[in-house]
Amino acid sequence: MSAKRPYRYRGPREDAPLLRLILSALAIGFIGLFLVLPVVLVFAEALNSGLAFALDAIDEPDARSAIRLSLIAAAITLPLNIVFGVAASWAIAKFDFPGKSFLTTLIDLPYAISPVVAGMIYLLVFGLQGWFGEYLRDADVQIVFALPGIVLATLFVSFPFVARELIPLMQDQGRTEEEAAISLGASGFQTFLRVTLPNIKWGLMYGVLLCNARAMGEFGAVSVVSGHIRGLTNTMPLHVEVLYNDYQSVGAFAVASLLALLALVTLALKALLEWRYADEIAAAHRH
Amino acid sequence: MNRFALSLFLAAVLAGAAEADSVKLLNVSYDPTRELYRAIDAAFAKDWKAKTGQDVTINQSHGGSGKQARSVIDGLDADVVTLALAYDIDAIAQHAKLLPGNWIKRLPNNSAPYTSTYVFLVRKGNPWKIKDWGDLVKPGVQVITPNPKTSGGARWAYLAAWAYAMHLPGGNAAKAKAFVAELFKHVPVLDTGARGSTLTFVQRGIGDVQLTWENEAHLALKEFGSDKFEIVYPPTSILAEPSVALVDRNVDRHGTRKVAEAYLRFLYSPLGQEIEANNYYRPRDPQLLAAHAKEFPKIGKLYTVDADFGGWQKANAAHFADGGIFDQVYKPGR
Amino acid sequence: MSLVIANIAKEFGRYPALKGVSLTLPTGKFVALLGPSGSGKTTLLRILGGLEIPDAGSARLGDTDLLAMPARLRRTGFVFQNYALFRHMTVADNIAFGLKVRPRANRPPKAEIAARVETLLELVQLDGLGGRYPSQLSGGQRQRVALARALAIEPRMLLLDEPFGALDAKVRKELRGWLRSLQQRLELTTVFVTHDQEEAFALADLVAVMNLGRIEQFGTPDEVRRAPATPFVADFIAS
Repeated sequence: MSAKRPYRYRGPREDAPLLRLILSALAIGFIGLFLVLPVVLVFAEALNSGLAFALDAIDEPDARSAIRLSLIAAAITLPLNIVFGVAASWAIAKFDFPGKSFLTTLIDLPYAISPVVAGMIYLLVFGLQGWFGEYLRDADVQIVFALPGIVLATLFVSFPFVARELIPLMQDQGRTEEEAAISLGASGFQTFLRVTLPNIKWGLMYGVLLCNARAMGEFGAVSVVSGHIRGLTNTMPLHVEVLYNDYQSVGAFAVASLLALLALVTLALKALLEWRYADEIAAAHRH
Repeated sequence: MNRFALSLFLAAVLAGAAEADSVKLLNVSYDPTRELYRAIDAAFAKDWKAKTGQDVTINQSHGGSGKQARSVIDGLDADVVTLALAYDIDAIAQHAKLLPGNWIKRLPNNSAPYTSTYVFLVRKGNPWKIKDWGDLVKPGVQVITPNPKTSGGARWAYLAAWAYAMHLPGGNAAKAKAFVAELFKHVPVLDTGARGSTLTFVQRGIGDVQLTWENEAHLALKEFGSDKFEIVYPPTSILAEPSVALVDRNVDRHGTRKVAEAYLRFLYSPLGQEIEANNYYRPRDPQLLAAHAKEFPKIGKLYTVDADFGGWQKANAAHFADGGIFDQVYKPGR
Repeated sequence: MSLVIANIAKEFGRYPALKGVSLTLPTGKFVALLGPSGSGKTTLLRILGGLEIPDAGSARLGDTDLLAMPARLRRTGFVFQNYALFRHMTVADNIAFGLKVRPRANRPPKAEIAARVETLLELVQLDGLGGRYPSQLSGGQRQRVALARALAIEPRMLLLDEPFGALDAKVRKELRGWLRSLQQRLELTTVFVTHDQEEAFALADLVAVMNLGRIEQFGTPDEVRRAPATPFVADFIAS
């Protein structure tokens, strides 16, 4: 095609072919080296002694307990985060109120704060030496070093995922559709159910996927409040560490593979959603 | 699905509530005792079932000794603690008042059913010819040991090195300080715990010699082959007394005092001592120790924290507290 | 039943959008609110639709106190500048929305809703397009869907916010004539907001010229054109 062009210089939006080659090679090389290769190595290490061995490592009481605990934590965290995320983004995107920008900043707090600090916060509040420690002990309620603490820590770190996905989407969509619904006689609840929710469902689904991945994968915050009791308070990521420290490399990488698999499934689902519903997603972004 | 999740949730919540004919204990321990207590717990459960007809489940939590003590202070619901050093249990007694200050007198041998010591793990053939503490500071030798600020075990290593330098001809505090300063210049990586530094030395292949628990060294030999590593016993080292204790306020709340006491006593029983010896902890029973002389060669001189450092409180204040001697001599990144 | 607006005032923060506006709109008339941006015309329209709450003043439609009613009970057929169609619904579902969300007691049966939708689709000349999504329609078609949706609730009046603002000149002219004849046929009191004086004069029975939150002049297009009441009106219609 360039043979037909009468001029020999490049247009302002055309790059030099060599530059393009170098840039893409760099990007692909980086991603391959730092993202793909480690994941492949995790699987390779897990299958080092054969698939049966890896499966045995997963089908073992402590591992099953860890998987169960991670699932429970996610099962409790997700609905709460969905409710919170939708409520917060609704409030932020559709209304003006004092303290709005403060709330928006606050939602990002779990992104900005080290997970260890997040865990410490709960120790400070619910630990035996914390504000409510003695009362909780007298009431025989165990928060930290038990399921509630693990759920709280997970909730904290996965807090922003749904809201962060929805806020820009809702802001972008504005509030005229909701106003239209109200002026047509819909109640607030009908408006939410029939207009707001359908408009954000794809964003919501992304948010939920990412939130789930984070909830099941969180290490730092959960580690602080877990107490590391084997078969009771170890989540999957914590169990990976335990196995690795016990010189059970295959087991550690087998459970790690499960986590990696979860990540891959998350990405695949995301890609599938984007591909399958490309039209609707595009429509939802168009005015 | 919802009901399934709910029942899982309830099951997990109710897991803490003991049934009448079964009882649960939580043993909060330090890093290298995982294998030991896996064996002890199984044997004790069998023993207790035979004696009382009651099923006992022992849950284990492992981590750096100081960190584990901190967790118990913060409310980790331990019935018994089996930590790397008495100081960490003192901390629980002091900060959370969960057990009396004189806990160490309640069980024989300073509440330490087994002892250990610090040894050198070197690569096969001992290429640097490391025989004694002085050899660790040969130019070019890289030493692996965890951080004494976070690891109970590393404090033993540090104190052993200090005691060695103090007892050299003409040794004094200034020379000892210079020696440990030189020693930590040879440490390329300070891990937070004993197990972490074993992985650094053994699996990542970093360093020429690892200062490590005797049991940890034996375990590394067992896991990774005696064709790759060998243990060097220095002429002098330190007597490590990992202590165990009942956490009174927790067992009374759980109603588990009897079984928890029996569990700690079991550590002193012939069967318990045998299991400890098999896991490379030096049993207190002298006959048993003699029977295992091959694994536990005699070390010329074992210093003790009490006799040579005036006890843990003093040792900590002088060496490991913020601004102590360790902080003065160790500069990261050099 | 004329619509009587009296002394309506509204501030946004410290910024006064309306400084006491009074107007009487006779039944069945087509009224334009004409003014530059920032004159308060859209705010007035949104107050009538219940989408903004005024700080002071009243609006009565016959015996009904319009401002006492929440927006959802007012039945003011509001048509938005960008149509605000529900993008996840078909055209037919958009039009049926106002009927479907009624309380069960006075919700028409499904078959009746479907019939009403068909009638409205014919009325706005979109027969056969009920199954399309808004994104598959042209601008003019979308505008007519928005109108049909507003008409479906049998509104007390029609409120149109810059109804032709987003359309190109040719479509705008066509739609204008069509809207005018439709309004005359339905005899529905209609208020529409525009900044285009030519459009206001061509369409409206009455024109209210607004500036800085006040009505400068209210009268027929002829009156306003022949005898501008203030220098601002003279200047604005001359431009």
